[in-house]
Amino acid sequence: MQAKSNILAFDTSAAHCAAALLCDQTLVSERCEAMAKGQAEHLMPLLEELLRDARLNWRDLDAIGVGVGPGNFTGLRISVSAARGLAMGLNIPAVGVPCLEAQGFLGGDETPVISVSAAPRDQYYADLIQDGQGRGPKLLADNALPSYPTRAEPYVLGHRAEELGAMHGLQVIKPAFPLAEGIARLAMRRMRSTTDRPKPLYVRAADAAPPRDPAPVILP
Amino acid sequence: MWAGLIIHDQGCYLHSDDKATRQMTKTLTALGLESSCDDTAAAVVRLDADGPSILSSVVEGQTDLHALYGGVVPEIAARAHTEKLDYCIELALQNADMTLTDLDAIAVTAGPGLIGGVLSGVMCAKGLSAATGLPLIGVNHLAGHALTPRLTDQLQYPYLMLLVSGGHCQFLIVRSATDYTRLGGTIDDAPGEAFDKTARLLGLPQPGGPSVEQEALKGDPKRFAFPRPLLDRDGCDMSFSGLKTAVLRARDAVIAEHQGLPTKDRADLCAGFQAAVTDVLVEKTRRALRIYLDEKPDHPALAVAGGVAANQTIRTGLLHLTEQLNTRFVAPPLALCTDNAAMIAYAGAELFQLGHSDDLTLSARPRWPLDQSSAPMLGFGKKGAKA
Repeated sequence: MQAKSNILAFDTSAAHCAAALLCDQTLVSERCEAMAKGQAEHLMPLLEELLRDARLNWRDLDAIGVGVGPGNFTGLRISVSAARGLAMGLNIPAVGVPCLEAQGFLGGDETPVISVSAAPRDQYYADLIQDGQGRGPKLLADNALPSYPTRAEPYVLGHRAEELGAMHGLQVIKPAFPLAEGIARLAMRRMRSTTDRPKPLYVRAADAAPPRDPAPVILP
Repeated sequence: MWAGLIIHDQGCYLHSDDKATRQMTKTLTALGLESSCDDTAAAVVRLDADGPSILSSVVEGQTDLHALYGGVVPEIAARAHTEKLDYCIELALQNADMTLTDLDAIAVTAGPGLIGGVLSGVMCAKGLSAATGLPLIGVNHLAGHALTPRLTDQLQYPYLMLLVSGGHCQFLIVRSATDYTRLGGTIDDAPGEAFDKTARLLGLPQPGGPSVEQEALKGDPKRFAFPRPLLDRDGCDMSFSGLKTAVLRARDAVIAEHQGLPTKDRADLCAGFQAAVTDVLVEKTRRALRIYLDEKPDHPALAVAGGVAANQTIRTGLLHLTEQLNTRFVAPPLALCTDNAAMIAYAGAELFQLGHSDDLTLSARPRWPLDQSSAPMLGFGKKGAKA
């Protein structure tokens, strides 16, 4: 069995500021505030509120869980940077949890699930979650779904799940936990095996192109 | 009896918490974080009775990451800062032979700059501050540069500062860590950006400052008569974007004539460009100095900061000017002229001594003028003044 632990998890990968505090497998406190901007200002006070509710101090935490995306690039950096600062300051692990894995986490490992979230310009991110692990999120469009061999017919959940499920003949289910709680529960499972520091899961490369004007031919 | 008391006192003193000792000797140790452009940096600076000292300064550059694109790509910079900053902090603490518990404050660049990178630094600093209970101080990046001569030379207020880099160009009378008068600055690009662009146009490596300067040594500064923008106008404002276009036109004329760019012509273009930048900076500095010296400061001084201040031709021009005007000239070493975190730690320490600190709602600001009373620099050029 797992040792007693207090996990604080948070996520700003989309237009929200979400956080959950998990003490020994029990959800103690949770918040999800919708906001299009201002996450950088709201996040830390929100976390302190959760701790206050539970009468805990920062020092009582055993691990940080953080949603690493995919999602809004700036949002991912807000949470990941805060998580890394907290982890260093508290000398505890920060566990980066992919958001689609957290959304598709049903509490056990058995059921394969296609977890979907919104992406810009009518696209979406999707990943197949099986045995508690994702295969790696893909950026998709035009109603496509990632195809991987699975033990059983996967469920589909998340963004546009009804529509995609109907189109692909897959059964739709609801997420078992709110996003931040899913992150906290996976972080708790992984806190002793994670060694890498959290980093954003961008999926998309940075939008940059070499300059158009070529360098001149240099004559001796 | 007395002797016993004194010994007891000393015992307490030696075994007491470090913080109490520091307060008695008024020592202040600050960690600084900087991530506003393309350098990820962390540093530890200490202030005590003997003045400031830099205990460590780590700067992790990103030149290689941006080389392909001929300029800093904000998204690439932000990604790198997010994943490097905590490692830089660990190294800075290690180099200073310290742990977080030895610190009194955490200072972080909260703007102006590329917002993605600034945000990463601010959030990391908030995490550290929340976790350790150490005070958090949001520092204006420009204040970091502007106060550097106090860190390096303990310069006394008020002094005139020419801040001239790849992202900034302005004259400031520095009166205290919180009181600045902006006399003028560029209305479009910063000279450092013009150096980079010129290097790109002429097939020289980035960063353009050193490569154009090197090439200019071999060239004739008089052959190409490049414009000296805004010299015909009163005041201390400058403009460098037209100069980039002038270099492009002159280059294209040479290429049209020779079906390529001969190295001799390239050297002449570099020398002519550098001479134009130098003339503008020196003449505008003369005007700024006149305004500053009218205030009859006790210890008149001109200080420079920013990467462009490393250019020897510009530096020599400014040195001669200050000699003519009986003003001290202070140019910090290059490593403290370009972006670094020691300047942020130092500025944070000065602010903290004045009673400033921020709470965990601290914002990252893409634009943040030091002199709040000067006219906003919006409305010039395509997107407003960039520097």
